[in-house]
Amino acid sequence: MTVQIAIVGAGPSGCYLAQALGKLRDDIHIDLIDRLPVPYGLVRYGVAPDHQGTKGVVRQFARLFEKQGVGFVGNLRIGDPEHDADLTLAELREFYDVVVLATGLSADRKLGIPGEELDGIFRAGFLTRHWNDHPDEAGRIPGLGRNVVIVGNGNVAIDILRILAKTPHEFEGSDLADTHTQRLSEAGLQTIDIVGRSPADAARFDPVMIRELGKLSATRFVVEDLPPAEDGEDKRLAALRELGEAGASDADKTVTFRFGWVPERATGADGTVSEAHFHKAGGGEELVIACDTLITAIGFDDDRAMDREALLSRAVDAEAGAVEPGLYLAGWFKRGPRGTIPENRADAQELAKRIAADLEAHPPAGDRPGATAIRARFDTVTDYEGWLRIDEAETADVPDGRCRRKLTLVEDMLAAAGAKRETR
Amino acid sequence: MDITILYGTETGNAEMLSEDLQSHLEGSHEVEVSNLAEFDPDGFDKARFYIVICSTYGDGELPASAQPFAEAMDARKPDLAGIHFAIFGMGDSEYDETFNHGSKRMEELLTAHGATRVGERLTHDASGEDLPEDLATDWADQRVAEAEPLLSAASDA
Repeated sequence: MTVQIAIVGAGPSGCYLAQALGKLRDDIHIDLIDRLPVPYGLVRYGVAPDHQGTKGVVRQFARLFEKQGVGFVGNLRIGDPEHDADLTLAELREFYDVVVLATGLSADRKLGIPGEELDGIFRAGFLTRHWNDHPDEAGRIPGLGRNVVIVGNGNVAIDILRILAKTPHEFEGSDLADTHTQRLSEAGLQTIDIVGRSPADAARFDPVMIRELGKLSATRFVVEDLPPAEDGEDKRLAALRELGEAGASDADKTVTFRFGWVPERATGADGTVSEAHFHKAGGGEELVIACDTLITAIGFDDDRAMDREALLSRAVDAEAGAVEPGLYLAGWFKRGPRGTIPENRADAQELAKRIAADLEAHPPAGDRPGATAIRARFDTVTDYEGWLRIDEAETADVPDGRCRRKLTLVEDMLAAAGAKRETR
Repeated sequence: MDITILYGTETGNAEMLSEDLQSHLEGSHEVEVSNLAEFDPDGFDKARFYIVICSTYGDGELPASAQPFAEAMDARKPDLAGIHFAIFGMGDSEYDETFNHGSKRMEELLTAHGATRVGERLTHDASGEDLPEDLATDWADQRVAEAEPLLSAASDA
């Protein structure tokens, strides 16, 4: 008897869950299902292209498919038919004993201020996916200007800042495409103001992210709104203070950090953003920054492709991610947009124990068809071998100083995935 | 030789490397693998050789799975005199100021309690060219070869 388990979403949470489940039971078969023909989700499309060390975690996930017998079913969208899904959740549950939804939260949270829809305003998740060549966003070119305001004080905001501020040679070793490097340098960026609502000691970025900025070659830093220095202060404050004293004297870009400012509205000329307005948190003071680009990096939300609210509200144990025996939620889709990749690893290990306990308590009959039924119904789905062929296409013939040239269109991925099969 | 591989991990990469090293060494040695989070500091055994694999996390800190071990070491202060270990660090030079500080802290923690390091601590860079297992297998073979006479001398004494 084999218990068939489908994990929807082949990002880090789904992969960590598969890993943890595999260690708990050996009478299971797991398939990781993704709407794209490629696995690894956020690691491939969310982690910044110049943080290849972080992306190294995929080497672990590759073991799932290569050594641990986990299947990959790519190019299959699960959810509501209204969102172009190929298969509903109910249909998928017919094929598997256990279904886990680990699709993440990919929509950018909105600020909710007047003027937010002006041209020249971009959201961080869009930019990160765009720079990572996500097929959904690869074709939408953000027109970036010279004076940028970033609203947000998390690590994602710092990723955006760093990519904007780097000079082309600082992308050595990354997989940022030449077209992006070229557009970034052509934008002629001069100023970046990064503005957070919280005071500096409550900012959400990690001190290492701030220290990394100190290495940038052509950038000068100004840090406003810092409290007076104290011995043994918060590491973020110390890192910011140090950053304010660093920076190249011949810099062509200036980055200014500001803390404790609440975004109020964006105003524009001819439909394009020209000013960002803030007021002091807890006070009446106003701050107006002239800009031609405004980027919001204030967190993530559900993309509503699956009815997450309803699933959470009928869950027997929402905190554990158990909707009912046989149906679970994992990662950000379960816990909301909080926590790093390793935090979600710990969470996946807990969920795996819960699923194993439920399987003990309610042993399934073990007669579900799993991926066989999917492959019988769709000749459009891909497998792990297909991903290896895509990977090969992306890593062969890469430009100097780059480790990969991503395919940006699903059609091209499918062609690469299927290439050998047709000539066999 | 009896070998215990201890790992401190945050994203699972050090755990994977431990399993790789176990497979590599198993043919000629008895090898156990343990997460530092589940290892009792009073459980060190002079007759075994310890290979510690430790990553770095956050602001140059020990990874999550090594933290309870470090706390238990501080609380219980075991005497590790006569314990031999080698240590392999995993880090990312993108964060150069804290690069491999986790393994450095782990080394200091073990030597501060009297344990003896065998060979140099090797530091792997996730942003570099080498795969950790490629570096670690040769390194481990050399450390094991160096440890063998030390451990047998200790058991004869």
